[in-house]
Amino acid sequence: MQVTQTKFDPIALSILWSRLISIVDEAGTTLQRTSFSTVTRESNDFAVVLMDKKGRSIAQSSVSVPSFLGVLPMLTKALLKDYFPEDTWKDGDVVMTNDPWLCAGHKPDIGIVSPIFYQKKLIGFIGTIAHSPDMGGVLWGAGSRDLYEEGLMVPPTKLISEGTPNDTLFNILEHNVRAADQTVGDIRAQIAANDQGIKSLMKLMEENHLDDLQDLADAVINASEKAMREALLEAPDGSYTYEYDTDGDGRGNKCHFEITVNIKGDEIHADYTGTSGAHPLSINAVLNYTYAYTAYPIKCTFSPDVPNNDGSFYPIKVTAPKGCLVNAQKPSPLGARNITGNMLHSVVFGALAKAVPKQVQADCGSACWCIVLNGEDKGKEFVEYFFLNGGYGARPNMDGEHVLSFPTNVANVPIEVLETDIAVLVTEKSLVPNSGGQGEFRGGLGQRFSFKNVGENPLNISLLTEKTQTPAKGILLGEDGQMGSMEIIPKRDFPPKGLDKLHPGEELILTLPGGGGYGDPSKRDKSLIEEDKALGYIN
Amino acid sequence: MKLGIDIGGTFTDFVLFDNDSNQLYFAKTLTTYPDPTVGIFNGVKEIETKYGFQVKNMSGIVHGTTLVTNAVIERKGAKTAFITTKGFEDVLEIGREMRYDIYDIFLTMPKPLVPRNLRMGVAERVDTHGNILEPINTEALKDLAKTLKDNGIEAVGVCLLNSFANTSHEKALGDFLSENVPDIYYSLSSEIMPEIREYERSSATAMNAYVQPITDKYLKDFETQLRVSGFEGNINIMISSGKLTTIDGARKSPIHLLESGPAGGAMAGVFFGTHLEEENLLCFDMGGTTAKACVIYEGKPEITNHFEAGRVKRFKKGSGLPVRIPVIDLIEIGAGGGSIARVNNIGLLTVGPDSASSTPGPVCYNRGGEDPTVTDADLVLGYLNADYFLGGEMQLSVEAARKAIEIKLANPLGISIEDAAMGIHKIVNENMANAARVHVLEKGMDPRHFNMVGFGGAGPVHAFGVAKLLNVRRLIIPVGAGVTSALGFLVSPVASEKIHSFIDELDSLDWNEVNTFLSDMEEDGYQFLNQSGIHKKDAIVERIVEMRYAGQGHEITIELPEGELGTDSISEIERRFKKEYEFRYNRSIEGMALEMVTWRVVVQGPIPEMNVKQFSTTASDVEAYKGKRKVYFEETGYLDCPVYDRYALKPNEKFDGPAIIEETESTTVIGINSTVQVDKDKNIIIDLHQ
Repeated sequence: MQVTQTKFDPIALSILWSRLISIVDEAGTTLQRTSFSTVTRESNDFAVVLMDKKGRSIAQSSVSVPSFLGVLPMLTKALLKDYFPEDTWKDGDVVMTNDPWLCAGHKPDIGIVSPIFYQKKLIGFIGTIAHSPDMGGVLWGAGSRDLYEEGLMVPPTKLISEGTPNDTLFNILEHNVRAADQTVGDIRAQIAANDQGIKSLMKLMEENHLDDLQDLADAVINASEKAMREALLEAPDGSYTYEYDTDGDGRGNKCHFEITVNIKGDEIHADYTGTSGAHPLSINAVLNYTYAYTAYPIKCTFSPDVPNNDGSFYPIKVTAPKGCLVNAQKPSPLGARNITGNMLHSVVFGALAKAVPKQVQADCGSACWCIVLNGEDKGKEFVEYFFLNGGYGARPNMDGEHVLSFPTNVANVPIEVLETDIAVLVTEKSLVPNSGGQGEFRGGLGQRFSFKNVGENPLNISLLTEKTQTPAKGILLGEDGQMGSMEIIPKRDFPPKGLDKLHPGEELILTLPGGGGYGDPSKRDKSLIEEDKALGYIN
Repeated sequence: MKLGIDIGGTFTDFVLFDNDSNQLYFAKTLTTYPDPTVGIFNGVKEIETKYGFQVKNMSGIVHGTTLVTNAVIERKGAKTAFITTKGFEDVLEIGREMRYDIYDIFLTMPKPLVPRNLRMGVAERVDTHGNILEPINTEALKDLAKTLKDNGIEAVGVCLLNSFANTSHEKALGDFLSENVPDIYYSLSSEIMPEIREYERSSATAMNAYVQPITDKYLKDFETQLRVSGFEGNINIMISSGKLTTIDGARKSPIHLLESGPAGGAMAGVFFGTHLEEENLLCFDMGGTTAKACVIYEGKPEITNHFEAGRVKRFKKGSGLPVRIPVIDLIEIGAGGGSIARVNNIGLLTVGPDSASSTPGPVCYNRGGEDPTVTDADLVLGYLNADYFLGGEMQLSVEAARKAIEIKLANPLGISIEDAAMGIHKIVNENMANAARVHVLEKGMDPRHFNMVGFGGAGPVHAFGVAKLLNVRRLIIPVGAGVTSALGFLVSPVASEKIHSFIDELDSLDWNEVNTFLSDMEEDGYQFLNQSGIHKKDAIVERIVEMRYAGQGHEITIELPEGELGTDSISEIERRFKKEYEFRYNRSIEGMALEMVTWRVVVQGPIPEMNVKQFSTTASDVEAYKGKRKVYFEETGYLDCPVYDRYALKPNEKFDGPAIIEETESTTVIGINSTVQVDKDKNIIIDLHQ
């Protein structure tokens, strides 16, 4: 494919492109530094994207959650098409929504989009999505029975109009969510991040004597598209399929995934026909979200080095039957859709292993497990999130890393921060020996994390576990990783996904799965086995 | 008479200040391996023969070295064990569970400095408020001592959960170790970095233990040899925060030496800033593989405690081991003379971060390098003189550089060799300007309000271009641009920095307790200064608190009001916090409680005075103007550009750009539309007319 000639020579383009990326990274730093919830400030569950005036992404924050990066431009395009056409935006506007179908697939993810005006002309948008600590309804997780139990839904609305805050909306938010200080504080941090990005972009425009962003946007988008298409051209044409099961509710009602990936010339199409239908638990994913988590492993496989933007997505098509697990329709509950989205890389890599085995990794011990605790401390309500990651899948030339986030990218909350914030005591955090799937290259180890309620009151807990019934699959003869497990002491029934209470003195022991192995275990280098033994990774 | 000695990867630099004549003297020797003290004494001898100064007559020596950094990067530290709360032995390996590159599925995380089989847990537990939940039983530790001995352990890092809130268990372990295994070095996290966040604290503690034996041995040798040669003065060591510590201080907390060289550069920037009456300066230092920039604001360098050592992916944030120690806030990017230029897979020209280093080096060195580098581009453009590189010690090949740029870059891009070379020069300048701009903006400042000082081997070649991009008006290329760090050592104050973690909301603080620990920390500081012969009355005390809105996770640094603190200090502290918060983030939040997290007390001696009468000792009757040569500028293409000899420049000499000024270690490139003014001390001051 022939790239359109641009106004920028390869040197000017290289320079401006890196400048765009530094602008969004800087906005991301502002968001992290000014936010309140552990989910944003410690775990980095957010993203920032700079877009042109058509809502196409031009640059995105470097260390972010991949799904948000994919979804933000879709959200902005939808805002332009159905809610706020191009000529209705005013300088100083800020639009907010958490509509799962428009935004990131569940209500806690709040999208905040600001227009960028330069010389009184709309030139683009900057948007952030961050996981807010609470949106009302039942405690976030898989425990809701329908969409309405998942809290407040704000359709695309101007949160700020030409600099004037929409006090009604702020008021409604404050009265509908737990720990409103955190949720509203994080929304303000998102606005601050957008403002920072706008400020820096203004400088870039001035200093480079640009009138608008369009030529630059076209140039970077075309370059990323070209890179993706060229990489796809090198992959063998064909139709590649893969099937995969996940825990579902963790009590026997499993989910089944089927994918057919067609590579033809410089395009790729992933179709989920055969995947199970909507699940009664709130683990259903909307198509936006499915698209983002399908395109993500494709990008990792074919064009990891080229900065991501809208262009990377043009050659990628994703389809799924309406109403199925990965194309959820109203009023299917969606709260814990990340459990489903975080599995899609396994299916995509599984299929692509048949086409480009040296460019993929084995299945990871994902999805990341999520724990939300809520209660009252000294008369003040809190919502505390933390995440735990399993082992990373083995690669074609090396072992998987132990305990590393994939495909999402969330950090843990430090034990000492957690214990400072709420009345829990962590009793163990350690690697789980033997949990990595064997192979020519071994999967990374999972972790054990145990904690106890040492307060006087029961804690509301929402728990999301995965791979306690189904393992991280090995590929190309690699063995599966060890499954995860959960236990409560004193022993009693506890939902693997859903809501319960953790009573004073009760201890929850969570063992996360290891990653899958890659290649034939009999081909593993003897010295690597010896090293694994010496370090206690296997025994 | 004071001597600054800076050991770098390739060279060891010396700066001597003679306070009788108020003159500076410079020397440079090759760094020697494996024993760098050989190089030091080669230099000391050179100073003796060349200038006639003997080490035994010197009053003080200030030293900095890359030893610690290299030990971490090359993993050449001691055999180290790590002791922590039972059940948490893997925290050091698990880290924060986050990837530093989201698209690279082949990424690797840095390996912990202590492998899993040498990490040991002890039964004990303290909660986050400092209450003891499970007492430590040192009687039960006998096996531990044996395990350490059997494994040939040389050093131990100790980091227990919540030890920032109660240090007693760590102290008990320390006592146990000194009693039972007195030959093994140990580091306690409550002494190294008493701050919340167990992984970051563990990482710093393990690293301190890891580098302690080699640093200790090295510093002991260094001191002994100096004393043998008759030196009787004070020995101080440069640390990452731009301060000086004692030999004992450095032996105890060697991780503070991680950034001693770059910190020296920044302190030289402070010195020149004061000297030239520039309060706000951007220091720009560019060498063979990296460039660094830092901000000097109101005459002080900015300090941060976010720092990473030993990154596994060059310059990628998050790919290293975190060390929360006070460090001069420098950004470092992979842009140096040796940075390699390539056409990437989407047809764009990129430069760095990988470098041809000194071997094979740039193509023009003719030592087998095949990839065109920044130095090759600078040579093709006429900025460097093929016959006067390192004062003529090394002949450069213009032809080889042109050929490599032609084949690898100009032909694939369909542009001329000059355009490709200019492209490299511009991109590397832009990369540095970008990084510097983000760095300044992150502090809520505007780069246009800063003037710039440029040094390092490649700094003066690129400083003009970078300054132009940052809209800087005035650029200073100081004398001694090749030995700046060592110069900075001589103008840094001796200081002690004590850290205390005490988390509580501003409105409910126990002010008695606060006043008690603050004055204890201050008293410790005076005692420390005393060891370097500095009297309490000459000390400057700075009391700092890191605070935030309650519920946030990132603190900002506020200076505490002077004197005894109490409830009547609240409004002033609040005012200072709000001012700083608004400065950084353009907003503040009403009605939100404030929380104090970490308290720091810096007690520092006076900044050593150095009233330099003459910076450069090479007086010359020769005309500075050497003639003209063809030099390529973006706006004009090749033109006949005047070339000057730095050493022959006369004080107050003035001429217009473009111009090239040559000296042994570097070349100053001055673009068109500018004026050059040599000041009375022979610093080059460039007005960029912007």
